[in-house]
Amino acid sequence: MNEQKSSQIEVGDGAAIPRRDDRGLVSAWWIALTGAVSLLILLPLLKPDPYLAIVRFIPDGVVITFKVTVSSIILAIIIGLLTGLGRISRNRIINLIASLYVEVVRGIPLLVQLFYIYFALGRIVRVPDIAAAIIAMAFCYGAYMGEVIRAGIKSIDRGQSEASRSLGFSRHQTMMYIVLPQAWRTILPPVGNEFIALLKDTSLVSILAVSDILRRGREYAAESFNYFETYTIIALVYLLITLILSKGISIMEYRLSHYERR
Amino acid sequence: MNAVDPIIRLRAVNKSFGAFQALCNINLDIHAGEKIVIIGPSGSGKSTLLRSINRLETIDSGSICIDGHDLYAPTENINTIRMEVGMVFQNFNLFRHKTALQNLTLAPIKLKNQPPAQAEEKARALLAKVGMSDRSEHYPVQLSGGQQQRVAIARALAMEPKIMLFDEPTSALDPEMINEVLEVMTTLAREGMTMVVVTHEMGFAREVADRILFMDQGKIISDHPPKVFFNSSGNPRIQLFLQQIL
Repeated sequence: MNEQKSSQIEVGDGAAIPRRDDRGLVSAWWIALTGAVSLLILLPLLKPDPYLAIVRFIPDGVVITFKVTVSSIILAIIIGLLTGLGRISRNRIINLIASLYVEVVRGIPLLVQLFYIYFALGRIVRVPDIAAAIIAMAFCYGAYMGEVIRAGIKSIDRGQSEASRSLGFSRHQTMMYIVLPQAWRTILPPVGNEFIALLKDTSLVSILAVSDILRRGREYAAESFNYFETYTIIALVYLLITLILSKGISIMEYRLSHYERR
Repeated sequence: MNAVDPIIRLRAVNKSFGAFQALCNINLDIHAGEKIVIIGPSGSGKSTLLRSINRLETIDSGSICIDGHDLYAPTENINTIRMEVGMVFQNFNLFRHKTALQNLTLAPIKLKNQPPAQAEEKARALLAKVGMSDRSEHYPVQLSGGQQQRVAIARALAMEPKIMLFDEPTSALDPEMINEVLEVMTTLAREGMTMVVVTHEMGFAREVADRILFMDQGKIISDHPPKVFFNSSGNPRIQLFLQQIL
């Protein structure tokens, strides 16, 4: 009936976003989820010392991890949108600035950037540790987000913009009303993927005196010497969170694609 | 502006894609109400010519005036001029994230500040005109090619343009859907719309066109009413083309 295909961006690193067609109980997602949930319930029940204490100690860190992740991703999407638009801009200077930013960020390990921004910022202004961590994460992920958004915009058929321009819409209006709303759907899976990757990478901020999941765990382990048990729980908590998030994103993706369904 | 001034005027228009010259010193006057059909072999520049009329294709030299407005004058707003020129594409290019009705109302609401209720009322009337009333809430992907193209024509008409451009409107359609689109176009022509149509549909050209332009290698090599055009055995290039296509 209609030969036009909807475009999809290949998903890179991070947890796999479950697709609609691998539903059912025997999917990797379900096995991992039931495994993580039952271990998190059974371990404290069967061996309260030390698991129960660990499970009580960690949640404060989960809150911090979520705060850092959500704030960073929102900032990163804003930076990414500006970067993505800058990368396709016809203004050479804007284009160059955006490209330079992406090149620099992609060429430096995240951990090095975190240290750099944390200590460089610290010499100019005193910002709370958590704010420094958020700025650093957003600065880094904004570049990746910019590439995702650029690819998403590029994936929208030229005919859509031509039709819009031919009606009298300006370039900006065409971007706002026609291209971005459609690109958003294409962009969502990789953005969700970045979100999950970012959540995992927030574990790096534990080095900057931010009490996230990992730092809480390290503090507990250092006091109690229960290293193995503590890191088991930490791994399970991270796994559980990413599994839930990836499912949430897959549901959102399905909702957003309503106009592609016949 | 004088009443007899052409609504579309091209003077000495040239356009190249790299070394390939797509338009070669084109001069053309089209008057209000005229129906022009452009035919010619592929690569002859007919689509480029059509697309240059609303500046979807920029030209290298020469001038193009629409209703007295120079497309390339720095004082003119291209977006305002484009509101007067409707365009229908080979691949329909309906906005995929909007329903048929929303495809029609978006531009009038945003660009002409029409109240949504009024835009919607007009859109429904236009959808009825192209026989698509029962599909107003459908998304493009849920419509057949012929249905999409009829909605696309209605979308262009919703802006109440003075000129309608058609770029091979039936070329991407299955044969059984071609007629439903041509019928809409014929109706539009009868109502007096100024139309420029690139097509291979010779039946439509014979019935509707005031003038048929034949293009080859970036030049207009024949510009005659259908009767003259189909009876002239003069140009061997045209003869060859007609033999191949009919």
